[in-house]
Amino acid sequence: MSARKSERIMNLTICLLMARRFVEREQIRQLVEGYHGLSDAAFERTFERDKEELRTLGVPIETGSNSALFPDEVGYRIRRTDFELPPLEFDAAETAALGLASTVWEQARLADATVRAVAKLRAAGVEPDASRAAALEASVGAAEPAFEPLWQALLARTRVRFTYHGVVRVVEPWTLAYRRGAWYLVAFDTTRGERRLFKVTRISDAPAPVGRPGAYEIPALDLAESLAALEPAPATAEALLAIADAAAPDLRRRATPAAAAAAHTPAGGAPPGYGLYRWPYAEDRDAAGELAAHGADVVVLAPPALRDAVIAHLRAVAEGAAGAAPERPEGQR
Amino acid sequence: MTSAAQVSRLLALVPYLQQHPDADVRTVAEVFQVTPRQLLADLNVLWFCGLPGGTPGDLIEIDMDAVEAEGRIRLSNADFLARPLRFTLDEAMALAVALRALLEFGDTALRSAVASALAKIEAVVGTEPRVGVLLGGGADAVRDALADALARGVAVRLEYNGASRGATTHPLVDPARVAVRDGYSYLDAWSHDRGAWRTYRLDRIVAVTPTDRPVADHGEPPGWAGGWLDHRPDAVEVTLTLAPAGRWITEYYPLRSVEPAGDGVRATLLVADPVWLRRLLLRLGPAVLAVDPPEAAASARDAARAALAAYDA
Repeated sequence: MSARKSERIMNLTICLLMARRFVEREQIRQLVEGYHGLSDAAFERTFERDKEELRTLGVPIETGSNSALFPDEVGYRIRRTDFELPPLEFDAAETAALGLASTVWEQARLADATVRAVAKLRAAGVEPDASRAAALEASVGAAEPAFEPLWQALLARTRVRFTYHGVVRVVEPWTLAYRRGAWYLVAFDTTRGERRLFKVTRISDAPAPVGRPGAYEIPALDLAESLAALEPAPATAEALLAIADAAAPDLRRRATPAAAAAAHTPAGGAPPGYGLYRWPYAEDRDAAGELAAHGADVVVLAPPALRDAVIAHLRAVAEGAAGAAPERPEGQR
Repeated sequence: MTSAAQVSRLLALVPYLQQHPDADVRTVAEVFQVTPRQLLADLNVLWFCGLPGGTPGDLIEIDMDAVEAEGRIRLSNADFLARPLRFTLDEAMALAVALRALLEFGDTALRSAVASALAKIEAVVGTEPRVGVLLGGGADAVRDALADALARGVAVRLEYNGASRGATTHPLVDPARVAVRDGYSYLDAWSHDRGAWRTYRLDRIVAVTPTDRPVADHGEPPGWAGGWLDHRPDAVEVTLTLAPAGRWITEYYPLRSVEPAGDGVRATLLVADPVWLRRLLLRLGPAVLAVDPPEAAASARDAARAALAAYDA
């Protein structure tokens, strides 16, 4: 890091911020000490780089002319209203929430960005307080290597190219969503001309920007609707299960108790110590695996096809042999 | 550190030091997450900054003697930088996403504070929410009851649908903290029944019944910093060779290592609870091609035989 460079950029910022009119290049060269002693070419180069650096920091530099007669005489200034954080007031509960928010990100660069944002709030006189964090620890991670370039592309509205399931795609990022510990990208796939959902961890290379920032508009999106494909498939069938008392709460939660009279199936009724339940399930998912996971605590009475699938699944475990491949579990894709 | 990072910090440091006269070097270093040494370097840069003109009266004044002798920062003559720079989009989004995470996770009181803070931040930056966060946070009533018990320092009785053991239990626990890990909210609590720290996933807690029993001091709950299960000294490594149909576990569970094996994968996981492994193997069924060590599969094999007996198969 160069202290001289930081000093020069700070003085340039103050100079442009205090100016009431556009300041022309030659004036800037004289007013800002850091530009003294540079050749014409070196000054031009340094000044262009400094302006670019300020723009990336979010300092809005305006270009214009003071003269209607000579509009080619270009100068620069920073409008205070564009530069300064507008007045913000937070009550005690809100500042506590902001303090807690400053500890949420696990991803290093976004944790830094949050720290910078909170430092700005403190510089504006707001005092976020993280003391409540002792009993509450929210955290959002982003370990996926593709996350960072997608975040940047989304904020800048730049199209990106990446490889997904072995296929190269160029997409317009619309939304990133964090769900159950994984990041998803909702994007418009320009190759296919449709909206698609991508699981970020399955992107196999580093997303690369394509074209310039601000290249597309992001339509209003219903996040829940965009992620609906990740929810469990709707039930298409109903099974009759015998579940051991107090066992398999995850199954019982979605099931309804069935009358004993319902148990006149070819497979017989419920064994002693078991209750009968009607359990809705999706046939194209791995219902057999889900049921087999409960071992002897869950017995399928009907339908026969599901009962046979569970028996085959259990035989594979009992015999330690490979067999037919089950479908993916619920919620996965 | 780049010059850009330093300039960004300096633009916040100048208004901060004017808001906080006579600030302590260590406190300021902590707020800006830099070393005290870096902070002193920052002050040395500011020492040369000020209004164009360059006469001593134009420059920012810092009492360097007070910095060196007392560790106190007194900065003046900087009215022209009285307020911090606006948020960048990156900063605003990072903060907004963090607040959205709290919205998914906090109790009613916290959520109402978060929602109003978020509205104020978003009003200032004027951005569309482009990043969403959905955390498995459990029912509102559960979160509220736990927040209340944590605030009052009393034990609670949980109704808990433990998934790894597949049974509903009613443990009496001293709650210590609610934390999010890998996208789910968990309660860390001292279990009276077990005489040990236990972790309960919030979306599996069906009900929370408060008691009047004050919580005892059990020290700190074990941290998760090292990752999933790393804090369990009794955890053992198990390697599964899986057909393609079992590949989903690589995205579902934290794994020690994954490598391709034929069309499928070979995955190594840390197992702290043999019952959990038994259920996983029963779940995967024919997708499991090999288990190492082989005896790790014995319990699942026995359970499968017992289940087949229940089917008379």
